[in-house]
Amino acid sequence: MKSLEQIFEQFHSIATNPKDAFNRYLEEGEKVVGCVPVYTPKEIVHAMGLVPFGAWGADLELAEAKEYFPAFICSIVQSVLELGIRGEYEGMSALIVPSLCDSLKCLGQNWKYAVKDIPFIPMTYPQNRKADFGIDFTVAGYQRVIADLQEATGATFEPEKLKESIKAYNKQNALMREVDALMAQKGVMPTQRSDVYKSAQFMKVEEHSQWLQELIEVLKKQEDAQHDGKKVVTAGILADSSGLLKIFENNQIQVVADDVAAESRQYRIDAPTTDDPLRDLAVKFAEMDHCCVLYDKDKKRADLIVDMVKEKEADGVVVVLTKFCDPDEFDYVMIKRACESADIPHALIEVDRQMKEFQQAQTIMEAFAEML
Amino acid sequence: MAKEKKARRPVDPNSAKYKLGKIVEDHYRELQEAKDRGEKIGWCASNFPQEIFQTLGLKVGYPENQAAAIAARGAGEKLCVHAEDSGYSNDICAYARVNLAYMDLKDVPEQNMPQPDFLLCCNNICNCMIKWYENISKELDIPLILIDIPFNPDYEVSDEQVAYVKAQFLAAIKQLEEITGKKWDDEKFKEVMEISNRTSRAWLEATAYTKYHPSPLNGFDLLNHMAVAVCARGTVEAAEAFETLLEEYKQSVQDGTSTFRGEEKYRIMFEGIACWPHLRATATGLKSRGINMVATIYADAFGFIYDDFDGLIRAYCKVPNSINLEKARDMRIDIAKRTDTEGLLVHTNRSCKLWSGFMYEMSRQIGEACDIPVTSFDGDQADPRNFSEAQYETRVEGLTEIMEMRKEAK
Ligand code: SF4
Ligand code: SF4
Repeated sequence: MKSLEQIFEQFHSIATNPKDAFNRYLEEGEKVVGCVPVYTPKEIVHAMGLVPFGAWGADLELAEAKEYFPAFICSIVQSVLELGIRGEYEGMSALIVPSLCDSLKCLGQNWKYAVKDIPFIPMTYPQNRKADFGIDFTVAGYQRVIADLQEATGATFEPEKLKESIKAYNKQNALMREVDALMAQKGVMPTQRSDVYKSAQFMKVEEHSQWLQELIEVLKKQEDAQHDGKKVVTAGILADSSGLLKIFENNQIQVVADDVAAESRQYRIDAPTTDDPLRDLAVKFAEMDHCCVLYDKDKKRADLIVDMVKEKEADGVVVVLTKFCDPDEFDYVMIKRACESADIPHALIEVDRQMKEFQQAQTIMEAFAEML
Repeated sequence: MAKEKKARRPVDPNSAKYKLGKIVEDHYRELQEAKDRGEKIGWCASNFPQEIFQTLGLKVGYPENQAAAIAARGAGEKLCVHAEDSGYSNDICAYARVNLAYMDLKDVPEQNMPQPDFLLCCNNICNCMIKWYENISKELDIPLILIDIPFNPDYEVSDEQVAYVKAQFLAAIKQLEEITGKKWDDEKFKEVMEISNRTSRAWLEATAYTKYHPSPLNGFDLLNHMAVAVCARGTVEAAEAFETLLEEYKQSVQDGTSTFRGEEKYRIMFEGIACWPHLRATATGLKSRGINMVATIYADAFGFIYDDFDGLIRAYCKVPNSINLEKARDMRIDIAKRTDTEGLLVHTNRSCKLWSGFMYEMSRQIGEACDIPVTSFDGDQADPRNFSEAQYETRVEGLTEIMEMRKEAK
């Protein structure tokens, strides 16, 4: 049996070297499809025998993307385009971009001209997603993705295969939820926790689930954490920057739960399993909630964060705001208000993918840790 | 300001200018009166299908128009800062910041508007709108109706999209009936559709007059008239005012006059929302060089022409920010060619991610297709801090020089 360190090392090596994983798939003769966040229908890609590969950008300097985007567009979208123009995705069969925020809408339009050899496939989601007419529209969006994938890769689609894929992803969801709880209980460090989530973007679902199972087994045997530091819930789009995670660690701060788009938010909802798998997938999307890019007039997300803090007995909330992410900037005010009325300390840290200096974050977190 | 007022001649009550100004004034006054009578009033996104509440006989105010008015009268920064103090990032659309601040302050002498009892949101111009209206709904604890019109990545509007939007349209009517107690009337709906078409036709015809040499109007006039196209499209008064405007332009062409002062040396397309806090600086920068704006997407943007209910839905699915690059580009190329545009000046609007997010590529393509020079400047529609007059001057000067060189070469 592998040791806990070995297992975490595996996750870490994938999370920090996605390019290797990408090249390996190509060498193995797989067709890889880039999946820009969020709620990209990975199940469909998987069911068609293609490898869904997360495209959340990378921590790099922007140069080429500046020809297309003004500076006030978020660094996720900018760096996805930058990677595309630099040829880092060479060999990718297509890129699926959902249109859930204004910047994502623009990414697809620019991609067509900036990266001509990798086809752009739009996934248009409804915001009024819960009513029947919304579910119908999601299904129509999926059908379009299927047709485009067929054209780009020659792969075919069979509903029976989608049923299997849905099961595989539901299983991963369950494992992720179990791991998440265990990692909080056993005092897993923020970087290791982040690697578990991040690696999932670049691995085949079965393989990742296998590793999760190994992790669960080993974690269960560990003593519960006697954590003398502080416990927080994080919220945001991305919270995987190594500089930032180190600051958490230096200040003895453990992440016990998150409402982060790239982390647990992806794994909250399972698809039903009926005889109409495409509709099942649309129902899954309809049931998604508590997210800055999904219409929610009651702002239930803010309440969810407060509930998480209570449930995990956390000491506070750290909002990790991706610079220029307007959906999250609007939500931040509501999260702030909800925390204030529940008497929960909270801190705001702005990040972007070009960040090299973490001095400001360091200062904020030091002060925050002292306050908790 | 005061000095300038004194010098102004009274406006002829039969002129389009008077009629259009009155519509805007009446709009705010009637909204306040309805509120005072105890009627439920709404706040509404500029591209929400107005046929719905016109038919129901509901009064709504337009936060975007109000924010533009507040910014043009110099209070944009004050309100933006107020929103920032309550936690809103200064990267957020300044219309949203101004409005969220107004919701809080409730009294801003530059332009008041009664507080809403319900909200009508439509995201065909941006998803930012959804977030903004969600926050108002939560803060004021009032109902929000969203008609979701997704950004269309294709050239044509699909039947699936029409079906989706139509279903929401009907659901919105039901919700509004419940909220306000008003009843839907199909006959009234038809009438409203007819008036809207009449208004739109007059608007389109009037704005098309920029094709004449010289253009009978200073294109910046349109930025002011837009408020009426937004807030009163379904009213007879608006139709009549635009018809008057049309007559005036016709007459001007015959007489060879124009509201553009001075010689029209160059004709350009201005891309983007106006820089309301710096309207004078931006307008003067053009006028002083003999540059007239003869082309803007706004001219076509508010012309909602349709034959039936399906057509109406499709029209709302084709507003400028909801269409793909190719369609948006072709619409502009068409306008530029129709008006003999000689240059393109792009306002890279810090507030509007969608408007600016693929504009670099699109304006390159327009420049190529029309063989005209393209220049951009950084600005903002309502936050005065995001504009530099020096940069603007340099860019406009650069554009002028190229246009001049090209003229000489001809
Ligand atoms: S980080 Fe925010 S702005 Fe950027 S793509 Fe994601 S949701 Fe959109
Ligand atoms: S300026 Fe842009 S972001 Fe702001 S409300 Fe208008 S369309 Fe939306």
